[in-house]
Amino acid sequence: MTTTVTARPPQGAAATAATPLVRLSKVSKDFRGVLAISDIDLDIRAGEIHAILGENGAGKSTLMKVLAGVYQPTSGEMLLDGKPVTLTSPSDALERGIAMVFQETNLVPSMSVAQNIYLGDEKMFNRLRGLNIQAQRYLLSLNFYVDPTVQVSALGAGKKQMVEIARAVHHHARLIIFDEPTATLTPEEKFHFFNLARRLKEEGIAIIFISHALEEALQLSDRITVMRDSKLVVSDRTENFDRERIVQAMVGRSLTGELYAGGRRKARPMGKKILSVENLSMGNAVRNTSFSVFSGQVTGMFGLVGAGRTETMKIVAGVLKRDYFHGGTVRFEGRPVRYRTPRPAVRDGIVYVTEDRKIEGFFETMTIASNIQLGHLAKGINPFTPVTMIEARRLAKEWTGRLGVKSIDADARVIELSGGNQQKVVLAKALIQRPKLVILDEPTRGVDVGTIVEIHNFINELADGGMAVVVISSYLPEIMALSDRILVARQGRIVEEMDVAEATESRIMYAAVH
Amino acid sequence: MRKARLSQEGVVFALAVLLFAAFAVTLNNFLTTGNLIALVRSVSILGILGLGMGLVVIGRGIDLAMVATMVVSLSWVLSMTQGGMPLGTALLFGLALALAIGLMNGILIAYADIPAIFTTLAMGLVAYGAGRAFLFQIDVQNTPAGIAWFDFLGQGSVFGLPMPIVAFAVLAALMALLLLRTRFGRFVYAAGDNALAARITGIPLRPLIVAQYVVSALIAFLAGLVMAAAVSGMSTRLYNSTMIYDVLLVVVLGGISLSGGRGGVRNILVGTLLVGVLLNGMTILDITYTTQNLIKSLILLLAIMVDSFINPRDEQTSQQAQGDI
Repeated sequence: MTTTVTARPPQGAAATAATPLVRLSKVSKDFRGVLAISDIDLDIRAGEIHAILGENGAGKSTLMKVLAGVYQPTSGEMLLDGKPVTLTSPSDALERGIAMVFQETNLVPSMSVAQNIYLGDEKMFNRLRGLNIQAQRYLLSLNFYVDPTVQVSALGAGKKQMVEIARAVHHHARLIIFDEPTATLTPEEKFHFFNLARRLKEEGIAIIFISHALEEALQLSDRITVMRDSKLVVSDRTENFDRERIVQAMVGRSLTGELYAGGRRKARPMGKKILSVENLSMGNAVRNTSFSVFSGQVTGMFGLVGAGRTETMKIVAGVLKRDYFHGGTVRFEGRPVRYRTPRPAVRDGIVYVTEDRKIEGFFETMTIASNIQLGHLAKGINPFTPVTMIEARRLAKEWTGRLGVKSIDADARVIELSGGNQQKVVLAKALIQRPKLVILDEPTRGVDVGTIVEIHNFINELADGGMAVVVISSYLPEIMALSDRILVARQGRIVEEMDVAEATESRIMYAAVH
Repeated sequence: MRKARLSQEGVVFALAVLLFAAFAVTLNNFLTTGNLIALVRSVSILGILGLGMGLVVIGRGIDLAMVATMVVSLSWVLSMTQGGMPLGTALLFGLALALAIGLMNGILIAYADIPAIFTTLAMGLVAYGAGRAFLFQIDVQNTPAGIAWFDFLGQGSVFGLPMPIVAFAVLAALMALLLLRTRFGRFVYAAGDNALAARITGIPLRPLIVAQYVVSALIAFLAGLVMAAAVSGMSTRLYNSTMIYDVLLVVVLGGISLSGGRGGVRNILVGTLLVGVLLNGMTILDITYTTQNLIKSLILLLAIMVDSFINPRDEQTSQQAQGDI
């Protein structure tokens, strides 16, 4: 194995200038009929740093995975060095010079740095010392200061990333794709990463990175591509962008207008302050955040992935625990509370409805009636209270009626229902506990369009009835349509609070990105 | 899936009936009143233990310490009565011991997040070892003579039905009530189905797990009581037998899924019936103990395979820490 860093030169230098390294034309990918990306045309040139921006669910990750051979496009064509290719797997892509560095690293934690770099092309008889010396030379040639004998599990996020990059370069990668490379890095590590990316660029390696941080994209990249609603909105040289233009491109909407816009009513007045959170902290996920929630209102919580919205509200509902020291205070109805399990929170009147109903929402072996009844039972105390099926059916009938759950009968099992109806069952199970504060985490995720409207109407009814409702959503139009007050989270804290009257999509997005 | 579950129960029942018919036709001694009563009596202990195991398995756990709990608590009771203590007092001590074992199991599983299979396996060894070292010295303990209610429990009958069977029936009815008609029972199903969802819904997950193991230990104690009365003694060698696997066989064969949340008392009855017929037939056929074990173990393996085929464990939910096996 050589220790040179130079990427494998593409055939003919003249060709490089003209043909892009990778060209996608009209590439689409759907998952069981749902388009994740549609008609993407994109050029990646050798030796450029290319930033991909967009909201959660805009299709960035899918696009990257298509490039890296994880997914095969449903339609469209991919050209590598001007020739059409079909990537069958990530290892096939790597063979052809395309490497992807995932958010969770792909390294083997129990092996040394050197072993990880050469993983997959060891010789039959391996001398550890020889391997280490070889790795040492190689890493130094890249200017990576990582000890090759150290176990990967002992490394920080930044160093792990270096090892991943070293492995990719070792495999002659000509295009390295990063999924949110800076999300887990400290400011200093970020600085190193930037230098690294620039050095790789000088070697003629193309770099693509997904980011939620606009500043990073503007600072580091040569070109920026913005995606929205599974489409490519704009792809242009970085100097033609500023923050405003990026934000505009990220939020500008057309199709969804009719579903969400429709003449916004006046914000409901604030009821009494039911929840107040001060300096709440939990590890790196929630950092010293403070905010309040009022009764008789819908409080929308917006933020991008990793903003700590779910974690913050899970702490409030007792699902997660805040830091033991300097964890801050949570006051519910004026009384300081520290729940270690959701049970006392439920008993006090705080109910959390999960964003992932299959994993922590419903009981799949049970009927609709039993699911709803369990919410009712969990609120009570005496374990030997007699339980009757008649009562379960009555409760089920009442709540499926209120929420409009469509199924053949209440004895149908939840797993057999559509996503929208499952969500309604999970809602019923929560609301039967008569909460004073209900936290709805992505209440319309994986729900069909017709049901979204029903669920929105129901949420409005709850707030009109005096309940404090918190809606966590990654979808701006939903936040705009539902909320009376909007909280914007970024990096583990609430950074901005605004009334819906003064809120605009770009203002919210502006606060949510750096 | 709902249909598959029903048919599994039905298939097992049909199998039991078929096997019963086959034995009745081919074996001379099988269809005699004496043998039938012996059959049901011999499996009623297994069935009672199966009730406790079933509860724990529905809650997505497993209790491999049941036989140890039964053997140690009853051997201690009998050993104390031989030392002159009145049976009633000794039984109270024995009950306390059994509950303590269950409590420790539950606490380790629920609060220390140790997988149930290892906790109860180790706890069984500890209980047995400690019992042999400190509580009783000889292998086989005999029951005290001349205590009327105790003799009746072992030898008596109600309407011609031997008491062990009656005890099994009564406990089965109580267990059915507990599972279907109390908050506790519904919570066990919920926790077995989806522990994370149960927690978020406000079900006290950890106390619930502890309670399951305490109940299974209580049932182990009751099974031991019936057994000691029926065979006039308690042999510690039972712990080293394949009994705990027979109990598992009853539960899994009956159709209570190891993936939790599925099944009920009916499944245990069906499982007990099939295992009972099988064991009895094999004994009459004079199949050696070793071969019997081989056959039983193969059936257990097959039943577990069928179970994981019908009720596949979801990757994501099986990563929950609670009582996973």
